This record gives sequence, C-alpha cells and structure tokens, in this order.
Amino acid sequence: MSTHKRRIAINVGAGFVPGINAVVIGAALAAGKLGWEVVGIRDGFDGLLHPQRYPDGGLLPLGPQLIEHLDPAGAGVLGQSGRVDPFHVRTVDADGMVDEVDMSDELLQKLKAQNVDALISVVGGQGLSILYKLQRKGLNAVCIPRAIENDVAATLVSFGFNSALSFTIEMLDKARQAAQSARKIAVVEVLGAQAGWLALQAGIAACADVVLIPEIPCDMEAVAATLREKITPRRPYGLVVVAEGAKFVAKAQAQAAAQPKNPLKASLSPLATGDASEHVIQRSGQAAETVANRLQLLIAEETFPLVLGPWTRGGAATAVDRQLGLAYGAGAIRALNAGNSGVMVAFVPPDIKFVPLAQAINKVRVVPADNEFIQTAQLLGICLGRALS
Amino acid sequence: MIQSTNPAAPTGIVLNIQRYCSHDGPGIRTNVFLKSCSLRCKWCGNPESIRKNPELAYDPRTCSGKKACGLCLKPPFPEGAFYVVEGDDDKVKVNWDLAGDCDEANVALCPTGALSMFGKTMTVDEVLAEVEKDSSFYRNTGGGITLSGGECLLQPDFSAALLAGAHERGFNTAIETACNVPWRFIEKLLPHVDTVLHDHKLTISERHRKWTGVGNERILENFKKAYETFPDIDFIARTPLIPGVNADEEHIRSVLAFIRPHKNVIDYELLPYHRFGLGKYEHLGKVYELDDYKTPSDELVQRLQAIIDEAFGRSAAPSSTQGSNEEK
Repeated sequence: MSTHKRRIAINVGAGFVPGINAVVIGAALAAGKLGWEVVGIRDGFDGLLHPQRYPDGGLLPLGPQLIEHLDPAGAGVLGQSGRVDPFHVRTVDADGMVDEVDMSDELLQKLKAQNVDALISVVGGQGLSILYKLQRKGLNAVCIPRAIENDVAATLVSFGFNSALSFTIEMLDKARQAAQSARKIAVVEVLGAQAGWLALQAGIAACADVVLIPEIPCDMEAVAATLREKITPRRPYGLVVVAEGAKFVAKAQAQAAAQPKNPLKASLSPLATGDASEHVIQRSGQAAETVANRLQLLIAEETFPLVLGPWTRGGAATAVDRQLGLAYGAGAIRALNAGNSGVMVAFVPPDIKFVPLAQAINKVRVVPADNEFIQTAQLLGICLGRALS
Repeated sequence: MIQSTNPAAPTGIVLNIQRYCSHDGPGIRTNVFLKSCSLRCKWCGNPESIRKNPELAYDPRTCSGKKACGLCLKPPFPEGAFYVVEGDDDKVKVNWDLAGDCDEANVALCPTGALSMFGKTMTVDEVLAEVEKDSSFYRNTGGGITLSGGECLLQPDFSAALLAGAHERGFNTAIETACNVPWRFIEKLLPHVDTVLHDHKLTISERHRKWTGVGNERILENFKKAYETFPDIDFIARTPLIPGVNADEEHIRSVLAFIRPHKNVIDYELLPYHRFGLGKYEHLGKVYELDDYKTPSDELVQRLQAIIDEAFGRSAAPSSTQGSNEEK
C-alpha cells in the first residue's frame, strides 16, 4: 500500500453517457481519504494537450469544495471530446494544413510536468486499446469501463448501461402504446452494433413480440410467422425490437441482387461500394427501416419504424449507475493504492476486481446462446428471429 | 508535404492508377491518385487517400477465418492487432489502434488478400510507364494524365516531375486540387499543367472550417493568384454538392461571382454527393461522419446547374448526375 501523497488525473473518453459525475466523485472521495490529490483533465486529453483553449486552465482540481457540491446524477463536469486518441491528434500546421500527429510522448511529458503519477480513464472499448498503448509507453493507467451497449468484456456491467436500459424500456412502452393506438406494428431500433444486451433486456422488460440481436442472425420468414400468430383481431398491434447491428440470414443474397448500377461507379477507386452493398457502414435507422419494410411485404399488417439512437445517451443516471459509478471511481483508487497499473476495474459480482488491460481489449461481451436472458425470452414467447435449440 | 529522398529522381506515394477515365479533363485519361490530403472534408469519398503514408486495409469478405488460417493472430503480426470475437463468426477483426505497425511484409503473408495496403511508393518512370500504355487513346482524344488524390500538390516534386514527363510525351495534363497548400507548391506544378480542376467547397470561411477542418482564405487567395499568374491554363471550378451543407443557390451564385471575372475559368461543374466511398471507411476502420446524409435529388441538381448554364451563357440544358466522381 502506498503511503506517499499522490497526484492522480482523471479523464473521460469519447461518447456521452449519463451520470459520469458519479465516477469522478467516487474517485475524488476515495483519493481524499488517502490524502491524495485528484485533478480532472477537461475534454478527454484536450485540457492537457491544448491548455491554451481553456482560460480557466485545462486541468480541474477536484478538491473537497468542488466535490461536495457536485451532483452525482449529473454529467459533464470534465466535459467530453469527440476524439480521445493522443496517437492521432488532429492539428493544423503553420502552413494551414490539417494532419493527425502523434502527441503521446508530449502527453506523457505533460502529465509528468504536472506531477501526475497515474491516470484514471473512463472509457469504452476503443479507449481501452488507446490506454493499453499508453500503458505500454509507461503510463500508470487504470480504466473504468463505460459502455451504453454493455459490450466491454471482463465486466458484468459497464457504467452507463443501466441508464440506457431504463430509458429504452420507457421508450418501448411508449412505442407499444403508439402501436396499440394505431393498430400497427412498431419496429424500434435500439443501440447495439455488436452486442444485443440492450435490445434483449429491454425487449423482455417491455414484453416485446420480437427481439432481433446481432448474435442471432434472423430469418424474416420466421419473424413474420410469429407475428401472424400473435396479431389477432383482439390484439391488432405488435412490438418488434431490433438492435442496430442485427443480422439477417438471407441478407447477402438479397443485397447482392439489389446492388444498384450507377454511372459514377466506373470512375471510382477499388473497393468503392454503394449503400446497398453487404459490407458498408450501416447508418442509424437502417435496421428498423429494413425490418419494417420486409415485414410489411411478408404479412398483412402495417409497420412503422422508430429509432432511439442518440436519445439513449442522454438523460439522468439511474440509481444503479450512480452506485456503480461511485464504486468504480473508488475502486480505481483502490487499484492504484494496491499498486496496480494497466488494469480495468471490473464488476464481477459480488466483487470489484482488477483485470489487466491486455485481457480486456480485443474482446466483445456478446450475448451467449445459453444466456439466461435468452432462455427467459423464449419462455415468455418472444421470438428471437429464428428457432433456437 | 511528402519529401522524396532523392530530389533528382523523386518518388511518390501513389494510391491508385486508373485507366480509361473520361470525366477529369479532356479526352480519355489516366487518373493517378496520390496519397495525402491537407483537408478533412466530412463527405470525403476517398478516405484511403487522406494519410500520407501507405496504410493497412482489411476486407473481411475475403478473410478465410481463424480455423482455416489465423496467421495474423500470431507473430510476426503486431501483438493484439487482430482478434476473433467468441460467438461471432470465425472472421478476424482488426484492432485499428494496435494494427498501425502492420507493414507490407505483414500484409504479404495474408494468403487471401483480406489484408492489403493502400498506397505504395513509386518512381516517376514507373508511373509514366503505366500512363504510356494508353498513349494512342490520348492522341486520338486529346486526353492524357490527371493527378488526383488526396491532394496532388502535397507531393510537389513528384507531381511536377510526372507532369513534365507527361508533357514531354505530348500528353495533356490536368490536376484535381483544393489548393489548400502554400503557394510555393502550386507555382512548382502549374507550369506543367494544361487544366486545373479546383474545388470550391464552401464560400463562408467559418463554414468551410467546420466541414473541412480549415478556413478558406488561403484557398481563395491561391485560386485568384493562379488565375492571374497562369492565364493560359484552363481552370474548371467544381463543387461537391452536399444537401444541407452547400447545395443551395446562394453558394452557387457566390462561386460564380468569384470565378466569372476570370476568363480562363472556362466552366463550373457540380459533383453531386454520393455514398460510394462508405465501404472504404470500414475497410480502414474509420468513422463516416455524414452517416445520415442523402444524395441530392435530380431536380435540385438540375436547378442549380441551370444557374451555372445561365451564367456561362449556355441554354439551360441540365445534366443530372454526370460529371466526376472523386469528391475530395
């Protein structure tokens, strides 16, 4: 256990999640108990790398006076940055030309100059890799997992997920009421590019008819068959929840056939594709639109797509996230006090544990086929896109 | 700027050489796409051209997966650069933050070509040898070579040598540029250029900064200086037309007001926004920021084209989505 007074910095990675202040408060209070000082870096790493942008200073001392007045349900005392990657910092040089430069060495030097001997970083999957790289360059780093989609491996729950889940359930309830009123099928797209936790758990809570997640490629014929059974004159509406990364069994063939011819394409460089290609970035709303359109062709019911998308990232933190944030913040200080570095704080019930970053990166926490939520959904009669064994 | 190691025999980093092009200058042309760009236009259709140096690309469609191959999961590939997600398909995924150290030697080990490099170092003679293959087409159609990118002015020695070599062979020469470079780069190239296709992306500087990363003061200054310093060059202004960004009459009229006093600006072309570059973003692990943007309607393009035709004294004969291709 360390006995000397330490100066710790804390920052927040790209992407907004509700209630980040809880993490900051947890770290500051726990550090205060040890007599350590905590400073916040504004807007990712910008406060340190570009202090000239901040008239009040790029570092925010997180002393007792600030912390005791900070709202744990609030967000944003440290701000955010769209890009939190010191290895590729966008700059404009003296000749007015834009370039991305590696400022990682400068970052480490500036931390040293500020007498900061460790960094706590609240990050998602990509941020973990960046902190892993910085740790390999000598930075004492402790990461706190933060992911709306709950797709960070090695922890049961990432900070921010529970708030997103609560909001999504509330919105699904409203969508179902709208569907009931309109006598149609609501197809609601929720966040979840790689992992379907949000769609699955919210879909169960809202008693959806169908839940489509990336882990289970769906057969639209099976979905249509389910809805034909479920939608009756007494219940002439339905609710379909689709994760934005949902996959479709027959997608490749269907899209290849739909590939448009375009006069511009002949002059494009290799690998150029259209929106309808199998392998393009899926824009927000595309999953809901695809499912709604396909269903309307397959069954004699009207559908309407809705997209929650960025709405999910706002709002207030739930009680669970506030507790988790405080525990993660305090846990990061405990990790440092125990001499850990290059670790991620993980919630492995009933414990807070410290997982080496090397074991946390390059993994995605996806929904396993035998997961309890899958079984629950099946018992409730929720269609998951195809028959499961 | 990319510096050649030997100024006497400059080399450049070439992204792609594309033959039989017909939109970027007169006649049948060979377009040479060069790496490096000094803007960061959010709509960029050539994201693989932005970085200076050759960079890794990954196409999962051709990956044979961990069980059948898995070579990239082991040394000599950089630790942690590639991985497979349990429960997902067997195909490899790229950790783009750790894969930056992958080089051509690594990529050459990939048996299916799923891994590749965008960009390679070439000499002037190597590029011209490729360009010369279509010399008969150039003679018959008045065509030649077009340097594009990226920003071809960021490799001034290499580009100037290429264009001078093309002129020596009797080929027409053209460049596509946004002119966001110091004037000393421009004056090195333009003596070897017959046609300049130059982008007027946004007229208001603050908006230009928002969408491309920098203001447009120097760009406009360069355009004006180029028109006046090189009166024998044909200049063709272009606007990548993005609905919600610059696809409005005000922008078109302001560009016309800028170019029409200069007689050597012979035309103004609209390049309707397209989304054919989207797949390349994923091949590079990059985020496409105009995720939800739509292509402009034919009606809008025709209406704006009619304004241009009127300004150039042509009868309004609107084209639709003709024109070039490579939005920068």
